[in-house]
Amino acid sequence: MKKLLLMILMTLMVFMIPVFSHVKALETSTIRVWFSQYEEENEALRLIAEQYQTETGIKVDVVSRINIFNAVSDLVNNATLDERPDLIYMQAPDIGALVSSGYLESLNTIVNDELKSRYTEVALSAFKLNGEYYGVGYSVDSYGLIYNKDIIHEDELPKTWDEFFEVAAKKTIFDGETPVIHGTLLNSKDMWFNYPLLKSYGGYYYGLYPNGEFNPYDIGLDNPGMLDYISKINEAKEQGLVLTNKIHGESEIVSRFANGKVGMIIYGLWYASTLQDRGINYGIASLPDQDNENISKALTTVQGFVMNKFSLEKEASLDFLEYILTNENQQLLIEAGNNYEKKLGTRNPANLSVIQSDYIKSSEVLSSLSELNEECEAFPNIPEGRIWYNYTSQTFQSIFFSDEENINYINKLTDLTDKIRDDVRLMNYRAERIEIPSYIFLVIIIILLLVVILYCVLKKKRIGKIKSYMCKPKWKTTLIAWALITPLMMLLLIFYVYPIFHNFYLSLTDYSGINLRDYGLIGFSNYRSIFLSGFEGLVSMTIWTFGFAISVVVVSFILGVFISTLLQKNKVNIAKIYRIIFILPWVIPTVITLLMWQGLLETEGGLVNQVLSFVGIDKIPWLSNPMMAKFSTILVMTWFSFPYFMVVSSGLIQSIPKDYYDAAKVDGANSFYLFFCITLPLVFKAMVPTLIMSFIMQFNQFGVYILTAGGPVADKLGEPGATDLLITYVFNTAFNTGRYAVAAAYSVIIFVFIALFAIASLQISRKAMDT
Amino acid sequence: MKKNRPSISKIISNIFLILLAIITITPFAYIIMIAFGKNIIGTSATIPKEFTMLNFRRLFTETAFLSWIFNSIIIGITTMIISVIFVSITVYVFSRMRFYGKDKLFKFIMLIQIFPLTLSMVSIFRIFVTLGILNDIKGLIIINSTLSSAGLVLLAKGFFDTIPYEIDEAAMVDGASRFQTLIKVILPLAKPMLAVVAIQSFVIAYNEYVIASTVMTQGLNTMPLSVGLQSMISGQYGTNWSMYCAAAILGSIPMIILFYSLQKYFIGGITEGSVKM
Repeated sequence: MKKLLLMILMTLMVFMIPVFSHVKALETSTIRVWFSQYEEENEALRLIAEQYQTETGIKVDVVSRINIFNAVSDLVNNATLDERPDLIYMQAPDIGALVSSGYLESLNTIVNDELKSRYTEVALSAFKLNGEYYGVGYSVDSYGLIYNKDIIHEDELPKTWDEFFEVAAKKTIFDGETPVIHGTLLNSKDMWFNYPLLKSYGGYYYGLYPNGEFNPYDIGLDNPGMLDYISKINEAKEQGLVLTNKIHGESEIVSRFANGKVGMIIYGLWYASTLQDRGINYGIASLPDQDNENISKALTTVQGFVMNKFSLEKEASLDFLEYILTNENQQLLIEAGNNYEKKLGTRNPANLSVIQSDYIKSSEVLSSLSELNEECEAFPNIPEGRIWYNYTSQTFQSIFFSDEENINYINKLTDLTDKIRDDVRLMNYRAERIEIPSYIFLVIIIILLLVVILYCVLKKKRIGKIKSYMCKPKWKTTLIAWALITPLMMLLLIFYVYPIFHNFYLSLTDYSGINLRDYGLIGFSNYRSIFLSGFEGLVSMTIWTFGFAISVVVVSFILGVFISTLLQKNKVNIAKIYRIIFILPWVIPTVITLLMWQGLLETEGGLVNQVLSFVGIDKIPWLSNPMMAKFSTILVMTWFSFPYFMVVSSGLIQSIPKDYYDAAKVDGANSFYLFFCITLPLVFKAMVPTLIMSFIMQFNQFGVYILTAGGPVADKLGEPGATDLLITYVFNTAFNTGRYAVAAAYSVIIFVFIALFAIASLQISRKAMDT
Repeated sequence: MKKNRPSISKIISNIFLILLAIITITPFAYIIMIAFGKNIIGTSATIPKEFTMLNFRRLFTETAFLSWIFNSIIIGITTMIISVIFVSITVYVFSRMRFYGKDKLFKFIMLIQIFPLTLSMVSIFRIFVTLGILNDIKGLIIINSTLSSAGLVLLAKGFFDTIPYEIDEAAMVDGASRFQTLIKVILPLAKPMLAVVAIQSFVIAYNEYVIASTVMTQGLNTMPLSVGLQSMISGQYGTNWSMYCAAAILGSIPMIILFYSLQKYFIGGITEGSVKM
C-alpha cells in the first residue's frame, strides 16, 4: 500500500513540477519591440537600443520573431499580458481588424509634416485608417517589370500596356505549336500582379467614399472595362503569353524566367539571389503606363511599426519609435535588413534619405526597386480588404479554363461582385446583444455535472439490481483507481474540457475578426444563421468527408496489418530494412511530403505519368479531374497513415496465441484465410477505439488542403471544391469573413455530430464482438 | 506441387513489398535531391542541374537550426517519458481494476478527443496564461504529454486486454502486490505496446506545430523545430525549398534512430513461432 501511495505522489509530482517552478520576471520599465525574422536586422536594432539607453536611460528589449504573419494573432493574445509588446513590426493590410477591435494606438502625435517629408507617401498612407495614422512604414514590398536583358533590350521596354503586349508577342519564339521563349508570361487567375493591367482597363479594388476612405460595397470587378481585360487576356493566351496549365502559378513563371525562357515578368525581387546565381542578366523597370497621363501603380504591402494600445510605456515607446525613424537609424536598419554587402533586396526602404544613400544607389537593382516606391498603391487596410481577393482566383479560373462553349463573362463577374458584397455585409453584420449575468454559465455547468452524476448513480443501481450475481466493484478499489488516474484526468479537464466549454461560450457571442475584444452574448443567433443559410452543398460534402475518412482508415488499417504480417514471416534483417523504409511517411514532416506528392501527381510532367507513359498508359489527370482528385487524395492519405497501423499491429500480432493458427492449419486453412479470419479480426477487436480515433483524425484532416487546396474548384462560386473536407470548407468560409463565433458554432455542431457517430459505432462494434 | 506453393506466395509477397518500398521512397528521393540541389524554385518534380552542400551549411549558419532541433529533442524525450508513465498507469487501471464509473470514464476520454483542439487556440492560450507556462518549453511538454497520453490510452488498452488476467492472478498468488505485478509482470509483457507508445508520443511532440507556434512568441532560439521549419516555407520573401528539405531530412533523423533502437521490441515473438508455420 505504501508503494502505491508513493507511486501516486510521484505521478502527481511529475505533473506538478513544471507548473509551479515557473518564476515570472517582471520588468515593467522596459520597452518591448517585436521585430524581424532576420537576426542581422534584430542585432542592428539592439545596437540602436543600446545607444538609446545610454542617451535616455530607458531599456529596450528587441524580440526576434519567427515570421511577420503571426503578428496579428500574437498581438491579440499578448496585448495585455505582463510581457506585452509595445512596438510591433507588421504588415499594413493587417491593421484593419486590430484597429476596429481597439488594439492599436494612434500615432498622429508623431506623424507630423517633418516626418511626412522624410518618408515616401505610401509609407504613411498605407497605415492611415479612419483619418488616423496607426503606423509608419519601414519597408515597401512592391513589384515592377523584371526583364531579361539578353532577350529584351533596355530601349525596347514598353511604355504602355499595348506596347507591352506588342513587344511580348514579337519576342515570343515558337517551336511548331509550342512557344520555347515567351515574351512574357501572365497568370490569368492572379489578381495581385495583374492588378495594374486590370486597372488600366478600368477595373479597380474598392471604390472610395468622398472622404477618401475605402467603400467595400463598391467593387470594381463587374464594369465594362473588365470585359475588355478578359478579351485582352484571351488574346494574349492565343499568342502564348499566358500560363496554360490551370494548376500552375507564380512559382512556375519565376522558374521559367530563371531558366532564361521568359522575356519579362511582373514580379518582385523575392528570388533575386537565385536569379543572380543562375546567371540571368536581369533588370527591373517601372510598369508600363496606363495612358499618357496616368502611371500604373503596383499593389503593395508596406511593413512598418505600430503601437500596442495597452502599452504601459506609451510616451517612452513613442519616443523610441521616433528615434528608430531618424534617417541615420533607418540607414543602419535597412543595411542590416539587406544583409549588408550582399544587398539581397529583402528590404526596400521607405525613408527618402536612405533611398538617396550611396548604399542603395550603388546597386542597380536596389536603386531601381526603390524608385518604384513612388509608383505603388497600398493594399486596402480596412478589415474587408482581403475579401475582394478571396474569390477572384476561383472566378478567373472558371472564366479562363472552363470547358463550357459560350461563357457569359458578365454573369460570372456579377456573381463575383455579389459574393464579395454578401461577404462584406456578413462581416459587418452585428447581432443584437442580450443581457445575461455571467454566473449563469457556472450554474449551467453545475447542473449539467449533477445530471451526469445522477444518471451514473441511477444506472449503477439499476445494473446492480439486475446483475447482482456479478461481483460488484469495491469502493476501496474505486478510490485507488480514481486516485491513480487523477493526474491524467486533471490534464484532460484542463486542456480538453475547458476548450470545449469555452468554444461553446464563444459560439453564443459576437466574437469576430473586427470585434476581438469586447464581445458579448448574442444567444443562438450564430446557430440560427447556420441553419438558415441552408445545407445544400454541405450534404454532399458530408458524404464525401465520411467516405474519405472511412476509406483511408479501412484501407490503411488492412494494408498496415497485412504488411506487418508479411514482415513477421520475412527474415529478421530484411524486415528491419523494410520497416525503416515504411515508417518514413510517418516521421518526415507531412507538409513537405504532401508537396512532393503534388509534384509527382502533376498531369503534365509529373513523374507518375511519365513512368506510366513508358508502359503505354495515357496521361491520367490525377489531381485535375474531380473524381480522380478524390481518388488520389484517398491514396496519398492512406500512404501517410499505413505505417502507423503497421507498427501498432506488429505488437498486437505477437500477442495472438499460436494455437489459433495451428488449429486452423490443421483444418487445412491457407494463409489468406489465416490473415482475414484470424489476424485481422483479432487485431481489429483490440483496436476499435484507436480506429474510431483515426477516423476522427481523418475527418478533421487538414493535410488534404495542402495537397489539393480543396480543388479542383467548383464552377459555381462559393461552392466547395471536389476534395474540400467538411471542416476545412466550413472554417474557410467563416474565417474569410472573420466570423470566428460562427466557426465556433460550426465546430460545436460537428463535435456533437461525430460524437453521436462515435458512440453509435462503439455500440455496434461491441454488439458485433459479443455475438 | 505442395513444395512450390510457399515459394510462389513468397515471391508475390516480395514483389509487393518491393513495389511498396519504391512508392514509399520516391517522394524522399525527391526531397533529398532538392535538399542538395542548387537554385531550386518551387517543388515541381524536376531533377536539379547542380548539386551543392550549401543548403546544409546555410541551415547551420543562417538559422537557429541547432537550438530548434535541441528544443524539439528535449520536448520529445520528456513527453515520451511522461506519456509512457501516464499511459501504463492509466491503462493498467482501466484494464485490470474493477471500479465504479469505469466505462463512463473510458468513453469520456474518447469522446472529448473528438473536438479538434487546434481550432480553439484562444482557449489554449488562456490556459497557458493562467498556468504561467507561456513561452516556456515546459508548457509544450505538458500539453504534448496530454495530447499523446489521451490518444495512446485508447490504443494501449486494447493491447493490455489481450494479456490474460490469469498471469496477474498467478503473480498475486505468489504474493506480489499490484504495483509489483504491474512493474515486473505486465509491463515486460506489454513491451511491444510501450515501444509504440514511446514512438508515437515522441512523433506527436516532435511534429506538433499549431500550439507551439501560438504559445511561443519570444525569440528564435526557444522555438521547436516544427515552428522553425514552417517559418522557412512561409518566409516573407519566397520559399527556400532546398533549405526546408535539408532541415526536414536532418530533423527526421532523431525519429528514425528512435524507431530503429526500439524496433527489436515489436519483432521477436512471432519469428520464433514462424519456424513452426
